[in-house]
Amino acid sequence: MPEALSLLCRISAHPESRCWALAWSPSGALLASCGGDRTVRVWGREGSGWACRAVLADGHQRTVRRVAWSPCGHFLASASFDGTTCVWRRHEHGFEVVASLEGHENEVKSVAWAPSGALLATCSRDKSVWVWEVDEEEQEFECVSVLSAHSQDVKHVVWHPSQELLASASYDDTVRLYREDEDDWVCCATLEGHTSTVWAVAWERSGQRLVSCSDDRTLRVWQRAQGHGSEHSWQCVCTLSGYHGRSIYDVAWCHLTGAVATACGDDAVRVFEEVAPASPGSPVTFCLAAQVPRAHAQDANGVAWHPREPGLLASCGDDGTVAFWRYQRPDGL
Amino acid sequence: MAARFSAALQLTELDDFIAPAQECIKPVKVQKNPTKAAARIRIEADGSYFQVNQDGEAEKLEKAKITLNDCLACSGCITSAETVLVRQQSHEELCKVLALNKAAAAHEQKLVVVSVSPQSRASLAARCKLGLLETAQKLTTFLKGLGVHHVFDTTFSRNFSLLESQQEFVRRFHKQAEDKKALPMLASACPGWICYAEKTHGSFIIPHISTTKSPQQVMGSLVKGYFAEQQHLPPDRIYHVTVMPCYDKKLEASRPDFFSQEYQTRDVDCVITTGEVLKLLEQEGVSLSDLDPAPLDTMLGRAAEELSSHRGGGSGGYLEHIFRHAARELFGVHVASIHYKPLRNKDFQEVTLERDGEVLLQFALAYGFRNIQNLVQKLKRGKCPYHYVEVMACPSGCLNGGGQIKLEGESSKEELQQVERLYESLRAEIPEENQAVRELYEHWLGGWGSDRALQVLHTQYHAVERASSALSIKW
Repeated sequence: MPEALSLLCRISAHPESRCWALAWSPSGALLASCGGDRTVRVWGREGSGWACRAVLADGHQRTVRRVAWSPCGHFLASASFDGTTCVWRRHEHGFEVVASLEGHENEVKSVAWAPSGALLATCSRDKSVWVWEVDEEEQEFECVSVLSAHSQDVKHVVWHPSQELLASASYDDTVRLYREDEDDWVCCATLEGHTSTVWAVAWERSGQRLVSCSDDRTLRVWQRAQGHGSEHSWQCVCTLSGYHGRSIYDVAWCHLTGAVATACGDDAVRVFEEVAPASPGSPVTFCLAAQVPRAHAQDANGVAWHPREPGLLASCGDDGTVAFWRYQRPDGL
Repeated sequence: MAARFSAALQLTELDDFIAPAQECIKPVKVQKNPTKAAARIRIEADGSYFQVNQDGEAEKLEKAKITLNDCLACSGCITSAETVLVRQQSHEELCKVLALNKAAAAHEQKLVVVSVSPQSRASLAARCKLGLLETAQKLTTFLKGLGVHHVFDTTFSRNFSLLESQQEFVRRFHKQAEDKKALPMLASACPGWICYAEKTHGSFIIPHISTTKSPQQVMGSLVKGYFAEQQHLPPDRIYHVTVMPCYDKKLEASRPDFFSQEYQTRDVDCVITTGEVLKLLEQEGVSLSDLDPAPLDTMLGRAAEELSSHRGGGSGGYLEHIFRHAARELFGVHVASIHYKPLRNKDFQEVTLERDGEVLLQFALAYGFRNIQNLVQKLKRGKCPYHYVEVMACPSGCLNGGGQIKLEGESSKEELQQVERLYESLRAEIPEENQAVRELYEHWLGGWGSDRALQVLHTQYHAVERASSALSIKW
């Protein structure tokens, strides 16, 4: 089983610090990482390895917790514990800050761009999720909605792959979904089931399902039930427990192959594959296809599948490194 | 599962987190007698705590209390008063005062005055399915039956707030060349907005906020000032209650600026919400529609002929009044009807005065947190195009305040529309034409624009410093 996930390369991305998150650019040419050293670093291929193309320092006063590329690839957003979200514009010689989004009362935990590129979402320990509208010409961002549906720290926000539907994960053990309703945004669904903090959420390519990972050491797969019109009804169709030794901090659902990768507090990186149903209507199941018990020297914090190259996976951890893996679906699975 | 402690425990990173904002820094002083023995605490069935000493004697321990005054001094908490134990500001407290009053000797009795806001009245009318005049009259009967002596309408004091705001705007407009902070002028009637501004944006935004008092506080000054004199009573012998559509008005009444050091009394002693009035009715087992109507009181002693309101929406009409006045005073333009241009959402609207293609005045309405955010960010970047903004903390304005009555069996949008329709059904009056208002300016405020008028009808704001807590120490 270990051969299914093999290490290609490891880089000391944020030395003397921890690497919190990763994001591949839409074309897959670049990888952005961010960390406790308050920087965002952008990496590009160099031969068989990876080299640092840019270091985005002076943007934040504290840890950068998450980074996200705009769908067009020209902008990079970084969410920081200093309470701000910076938006960087990429040009020939590097990146420059075009906007600093303020308003959250304390640490910003996550940032995400809507598939249209017209909206941005941020979330914070202040329990709120903010939706911002992007004005590309002016390079200005205006707050469109402040959503206080969660009762605790919100850890992650991520947009549906094709619709303007937003998901958020929180310390209050729930996942919530939001959509626009007339001139404001509303929480249209609450996914309950986890028994502890939900750290992250990932959408399946079709947008019909999403997977959440939690401090309760389980992965839950949720499916949108057949509903009428704009009503949302979601059910948990699969719970994967017993595989992870500690809190699961990140999950990524590959839009090319359907494989699900996780980053865990037990230092491991794992890959799950869906098992083809025996007959229509049989329950959804996933099996553990690969794992690397010591993928990082400490907690693994993030995983990200390459958007164009099937089987290329990046992970990052508290050891400050970014590791690149080749995943090959084992035979007979 | 690393062999050493996880990174979270490493000391170097304790600096990384911003001190939690939701932390009350108010130290609560507890009277304690130092004894050698450790204290034993006994908890009674009713939840009260007793400290038992060696001899077995029990001493009841005081519950730690936070008053609103304490809260305003601290940057650690929240602005909305719902989650704060409001001991001195509830309908229960009002009942207590009324009960004490009944039992008190004549020379110790307080004169109880209740000032009702038009928004609360509209909400009650919608709930009780009555007309506005009927509601006002029957509410008067109800309150007087409880022991209240006078029932006023804050529409009256709103005249002063509108007139002063108009005047203040024109003054600021003239000063804008020398004073960069004169414009935009931002509305001051909403305490939710004021508390947020003082706490989050402090000295940057304060110079922009209008110094005009809100109708609630103007009423407070009138009741404890003018009315007290008329009744030949010192201000501390009057207990002034207001009925408001939100909880933030309780915070406003508790501001030290509205406390008279001389008489050791607040301009407004107690604020109860519309919902709390309903609770009072239910407590007394009374249905408002069953009561007989009573004649309405006015501060100047004459009977009120009819109810009136002001143009410009359910949050006071500041934008419209200031706009019309400024257009006339500054440009000689008479504005017939005001056209609102909705921007990003219905709580953010623009009004423009143009002449020959030139923009003379540009005003806006900004209701709700998201719009306030955008407004403040624009201001910070120097990109705010407005001369005046009517800022309100609640989406849809005061008629949709957090203390209004939730109707049953209808969608909240329909409820609100009903309340709005009732509110707007009254004849709108023009503040300049109100006889009683003119009289008060002449005879009690020392004349229009006098120093005394400025002192009585205006207030000031204070930036709240972020309290340092243990978590903000540099390790």
